[in-house]
Amino acid sequence: MTPQIHREREMRVDLLQVAALLLLMVLSVAFVYSATMTGDSVVIATWYHQRWFRQIVFFVLGIGAASAVCMVDYHVLSRWAFVAYWASILSLIGVLFVGSLIYGARRWVQFAGFQIQPSEFAKLAFILAMAHFLSRPVDELRQPRIFWQAIGFMALPFLLIMKEPDLGSALVLLPTGLAMLFVAGTPREYLVQLLTLGAVLAVLFLVDVLFAPQSLRIVKIQEYQMRRLLVYFGRDYASNKGGNISEAERANLREEEFNDSHNVRQAMIAVGSGGLTGEGWRHGQQNELGFLPVAGKHNDFIFAVIAEELGFVGSVTVLALYSVVLFTGIRIAGQARDRLGKLLAVGVVTLLFSHVFINIGMNIRLMPVTGVPLPLLSYGGSSVLGSLIAMGMLQNIHMYRKVY
Amino acid sequence: MLIFDQLKKDDPQLRLLAVTVFGGMALLLAGLWWVQVVSSHYYQEKLEVQSIRTVRMPAIRGQILDRDGRPIAENRPCYNIDLYLEDLSRSNQAVYAYLLTAEKKQLARRMATEETRLGRKLTTQEKKQSQFALTLPLKEQLQQVARWWVSSNAVADLSARLQVNIPLDEKEFEKRYDKARALPLPILANLDPSQVARFEEQSIHTPGLEMDVQSLRYYPNGPAAAHLLGFLSHDSKSSDNEESDYNYRLEDFVGKTGLEGLYDKELRGIGGGKSVVVNNLGYRQGETIVSPAEPGTNVVLTIDLDIQKAAETALQQAQANVHGAVVVMDAQNGDVLAMASAPTYDPNFFLQHHTAEEWDGLLNDTNTRALVNRAMQENYAPGSIFKIVVGLAALEQGVLDPRASFHSDGYIMVGRRRINDTAGEGEFDFSRALAKSSNPYFITQGLKPGVLARIVALGQRFHLGERTGLIPHQETKGNLPTLDEVRSSAWHDGDTANLSIGQGAIVVTPLQMAVMTAAVANGGTVFQPRLVSKTEPYGSEEPIQIFPAGQVRDTLGVSQRSLNIVREAMLADVESAEGTGHDAAIPGWHIAGKTGTAEVEKNGHKEKSADNTWFASFAPFEHPRYVVVITVEGGASGGKTCAPVAHKIYLAIQQREQERSRAPAPKLGTLAEAQP
Repeated sequence: MTPQIHREREMRVDLLQVAALLLLMVLSVAFVYSATMTGDSVVIATWYHQRWFRQIVFFVLGIGAASAVCMVDYHVLSRWAFVAYWASILSLIGVLFVGSLIYGARRWVQFAGFQIQPSEFAKLAFILAMAHFLSRPVDELRQPRIFWQAIGFMALPFLLIMKEPDLGSALVLLPTGLAMLFVAGTPREYLVQLLTLGAVLAVLFLVDVLFAPQSLRIVKIQEYQMRRLLVYFGRDYASNKGGNISEAERANLREEEFNDSHNVRQAMIAVGSGGLTGEGWRHGQQNELGFLPVAGKHNDFIFAVIAEELGFVGSVTVLALYSVVLFTGIRIAGQARDRLGKLLAVGVVTLLFSHVFINIGMNIRLMPVTGVPLPLLSYGGSSVLGSLIAMGMLQNIHMYRKVY
Repeated sequence: MLIFDQLKKDDPQLRLLAVTVFGGMALLLAGLWWVQVVSSHYYQEKLEVQSIRTVRMPAIRGQILDRDGRPIAENRPCYNIDLYLEDLSRSNQAVYAYLLTAEKKQLARRMATEETRLGRKLTTQEKKQSQFALTLPLKEQLQQVARWWVSSNAVADLSARLQVNIPLDEKEFEKRYDKARALPLPILANLDPSQVARFEEQSIHTPGLEMDVQSLRYYPNGPAAAHLLGFLSHDSKSSDNEESDYNYRLEDFVGKTGLEGLYDKELRGIGGGKSVVVNNLGYRQGETIVSPAEPGTNVVLTIDLDIQKAAETALQQAQANVHGAVVVMDAQNGDVLAMASAPTYDPNFFLQHHTAEEWDGLLNDTNTRALVNRAMQENYAPGSIFKIVVGLAALEQGVLDPRASFHSDGYIMVGRRRINDTAGEGEFDFSRALAKSSNPYFITQGLKPGVLARIVALGQRFHLGERTGLIPHQETKGNLPTLDEVRSSAWHDGDTANLSIGQGAIVVTPLQMAVMTAAVANGGTVFQPRLVSKTEPYGSEEPIQIFPAGQVRDTLGVSQRSLNIVREAMLADVESAEGTGHDAAIPGWHIAGKTGTAEVEKNGHKEKSADNTWFASFAPFEHPRYVVVITVEGGASGGKTCAPVAHKIYLAIQQREQERSRAPAPKLGTLAEAQP
């Protein structure tokens, strides 16, 4: 590594990371364009109403917000951590009452002509608050009270987001919180206990949902969520429904199963048929011919479009860009001037990683379909703004880093 | 390096985080490598299965040409109007949206009525009941109504514009929509020129309706040479040497009988394939030709179209409701110049769609049996024309002095059976006996020692009782008694007497009689008859396969003296005023011929209407070139019924020869001239 310049404050941003982020944004606009400018939609909307353009606007806004976050020392930001946290909790409660019901879930609030997804911002507020809370001296973390308080911080937004329901957004909070607890220096036995408990609960939950007869089922989850899990674990609907059902009903369920697994199947066909070098930008058949889900191909399934049109080369590019962002993020964590900065950086990196892993994993059936956006690539204002603000925080930590 | 620096960090917590992130990314990379590189082929196939439909396109069928290259079977453009469902999908959506709104309103009204009736709000559960809810089947039904409405309107509109009734069945439409959405739906086939013009003028902006041109088999001369051509039937299967795995097949035909059947493999060509890309709704998005169709091979016949037509016309005029056949052959090489069979049919009939009754009328009428080629597929007793063979046998055996006088009583007793004779009582030498067709004369010759065996041996040289192989599986072989049969104890003099006048054990086809007559005319060469001279690629004259002319099947091995005696007697049959075949005579040529009337026992007794009459002849006598053989079932007599047919055919041949000498070998009717 090149010797650092000895200065009290190094105002330089991490250029490598910024370059990777910019490339991701360019890819995003190109493929939101490709995913949305198919079929009749080409002629319907004027250019400034089209998603690729709106995505550019979101990026500009996001870069502005990130720059603003950079300007203020993260110590100042962290003073507002709990205000942000409780505000986000309030918004999560609010969305359950005033949110618009879209696809059977209340995740969005209408605000000034935009739909805002509070959970995207709640994730950031959670990281900020958690980092602030855990940045206390390591000795204090040995107290069970502090540990359980931290768990409580995690559980509150988790449960509220689950209630919307938005399983994916809720789930990413768990590894994020866990990583922050771990890096903060929480005693290992606490974490082992927590993980064991979590694993047991998860197994019980899955067994209950997937295998228990309907009458004995304890956990009540949304029908569509159960179906997604059934599809992921390859359980057929008919046997899940239990015992004596008519042949017609069985056939009906089989068809529903086929339809529900449709999106994942189509995404996998898109990814797989991309091959090594892909079918070319705007020439992906799965995308062009409408086999990829129209509602999701520009956001949750954007990776399938990229993978189909750019092939394995494109997938590697995307993974490489995220790797650059993630590992520069870890480097920033290592160079952070204090525990607060380190924990913030770890939180952001883990959150980003969880999104990337769940989203891309879903396209190749490594993960169930949970509706998690791919940060900076997926279309969506809240996601883009949230991701860029998080990146702004990382850069902020980088700028106020330890200087050797 | 950035990544490895993080993996080697001395901060254990961050190191674990880095390792986890690295592991996760590596796992994704491995997964993507597996899906996109290793299993890529599997997913590409899946993609093709759901987004590509393959369609077999028929090849242009090869032409069948006469000896001068004039088409007997060709192709014509057939204009059809097709409905392109994908072009209507936006209209479908608009109508569906309208119907949906209306349906929602109605459901809301129904709910409101129910609520006032109950005096309370309906619960969420109750609202989900099928009479209030917009269920999936209801939506599908509305979509069906919408697309039927749009499509049937488009068709009705077209119907009004072209002023034709265009039937479109809703069930059929739905079936097509379900099964073959990727293909255009044929609406109206085979437009006439005025309809084509009207459609072109008015339909420029009609969405969803387009005209396409198809190549369709066409027999420009209608029934001419129908029995030689055979017929086609609808069959879109793949040929042996082409791709057989298609989702859809466009209409194609397969030759069933005749030359269309025999040369089907060559004529049919190789069907091409196109792949149609469809979207997630199954609508066509575009198509590419995967393999272009290769046109079939042309088949060039030995048939002369002019003579063929003349022969058919002459045969038709022989009598009312004629059943019979004509064969015209080149005496010097066995080429079939014309072959006609009556009653006939129009092979164009098989290319259209017909009702069951129409099919029945053609295929299963046992009286008509129009599909039977009577020149090859029917056994006939040769009657008196077989006396040519009997005479030759007796002459060769050396037991017949052609100039010796023979007294006939006008009948002959064989055993206790009396055989009558139309030639009447009188003195006969060979020439007069053949010309007047005296039965006693020839029966007497046949019964002379050694002659019977000679007849059989000579019949074998003529290859009677054997197929010529002209069109395999569509020929009967007739019958010639074997030497063993005639020497057995079951064979009596009565059988010999019958054989001597061409009845009883002997049956032949007109084609065999033509070969026989040609052998007598050309000095004793029995030719393998030839119908196809060569095959050549479509649109070219460079032959692929040549079938050489004048393949010798056998030689008679009889003296020229005997042949001359028979030929001169045949000449007398036509040229002398009292000859039975005098009606065949034409000015300018000397024709040699022999008439025959075979009595056929039907239902156990002789019946005049079942007789079949013959005329076998060749001309010009001096340099024999043409053989004309005619048979008519139930004719009055060979001389009265068949000789006039020969007369007309010879006139036509003569005229054709004069045309040829004036303008040597005109190359008529090439494809370019024949097609508009």
